[in-house]
Amino acid sequence: MITLRGKLKKDNDVSNSKSRDTNKRVSIRDKLLVREVQEMEQTLPSTCQIVFDDPNRLHEFTLVIVPDEGYWVGGRFHFGIYVTEDYNMAPPQVKCQTKLWHPNINEDGDVCLSLLRQSSIDGLGWAPTRKLKDVVWGVNSLFTDLLNFDDPLNREAAELFLVDKESFRHKVKEYVTQYAKR
Amino acid sequence: MAESVQDNVERGDGDNVKTENFFTLKKWNAVAMWSWDVECDTCAICRVQVMDACLRCQAESKKDFYGKQDCVVVWGECNHSFHYCCMSLWVKQNNRCPLCQQEWSIQRMGK
Ligand SMILES: [Zn+2]
Ligand SMILES: [Zn+2]
Ligand SMILES: [Zn+2]
Repeated sequence: MITLRGKLKKDNDVSNSKSRDTNKRVSIRDKLLVREVQEMEQTLPSTCQIVFDDPNRLHEFTLVIVPDEGYWVGGRFHFGIYVTEDYNMAPPQVKCQTKLWHPNINEDGDVCLSLLRQSSIDGLGWAPTRKLKDVVWGVNSLFTDLLNFDDPLNREAAELFLVDKESFRHKVKEYVTQYAKR
Repeated sequence: MAESVQDNVERGDGDNVKTENFFTLKKWNAVAMWSWDVECDTCAICRVQVMDACLRCQAESKKDFYGKQDCVVVWGECNHSFHYCCMSLWVKQNNRCPLCQQEWSIQRMGK
């Protein structure tokens, strides 16, 4: 059986124009983004807003989420989204810029979301078939459906939830009041 | 298709036509093969139809520093099809079909 991997090894040995390849990849990303950004804006959940600092740089924008239900309601959370040059082979980078108390987002702003994982064997990770609108949907859902206490990034938050839901709720509110007011 | 009709009409017209019939039949064969690939699938990686050149090859149309390699289609054992160019980039990251997550192995390649 031919495997693509085996063939690729040979191909790689032949082509070694790395720098030119990188330049090409930028334009591929931008071509994909022209369509994906439009689609993302057309399908934007009502709790989300997209802000471009520079409309000519489609690969860098802010996603603002204002949850309308759940523990974080009342807060306004900013996520910086950066689409790297090797998109859509690699997922966009997402960083939470608003401090919050959340089991899947740590206080440094790292976000734990399976679809943003580069390599995964479970089929939930990144794939080039995914689009920006899926990323927006995923991050937005961290405040509701995808909120996950089983595999936490902020272990302390998850543990507090397990032992004392009221304290958890209280601590979330405290953070919202202090850092995430509109 | 028009050729096959012609073929029927001209059949049995004598030795001269026999050679022509042979040719016509060959042509019909070619048409049948072509219909194999008529599935107008879109490559889920670059979102261009698999029968067209991929996004990358379209962008590079004037510079062929990879040599004169055609942008071909690749079908996996799972029956999903992609541009070979697109899929070869992806399997470096993850050797699975991005649509069905099955281990990726090539069923056939072509155009
Ligand atoms: Zn493609
Ligand atoms: Zn190609
Ligand atoms: Zn498949």
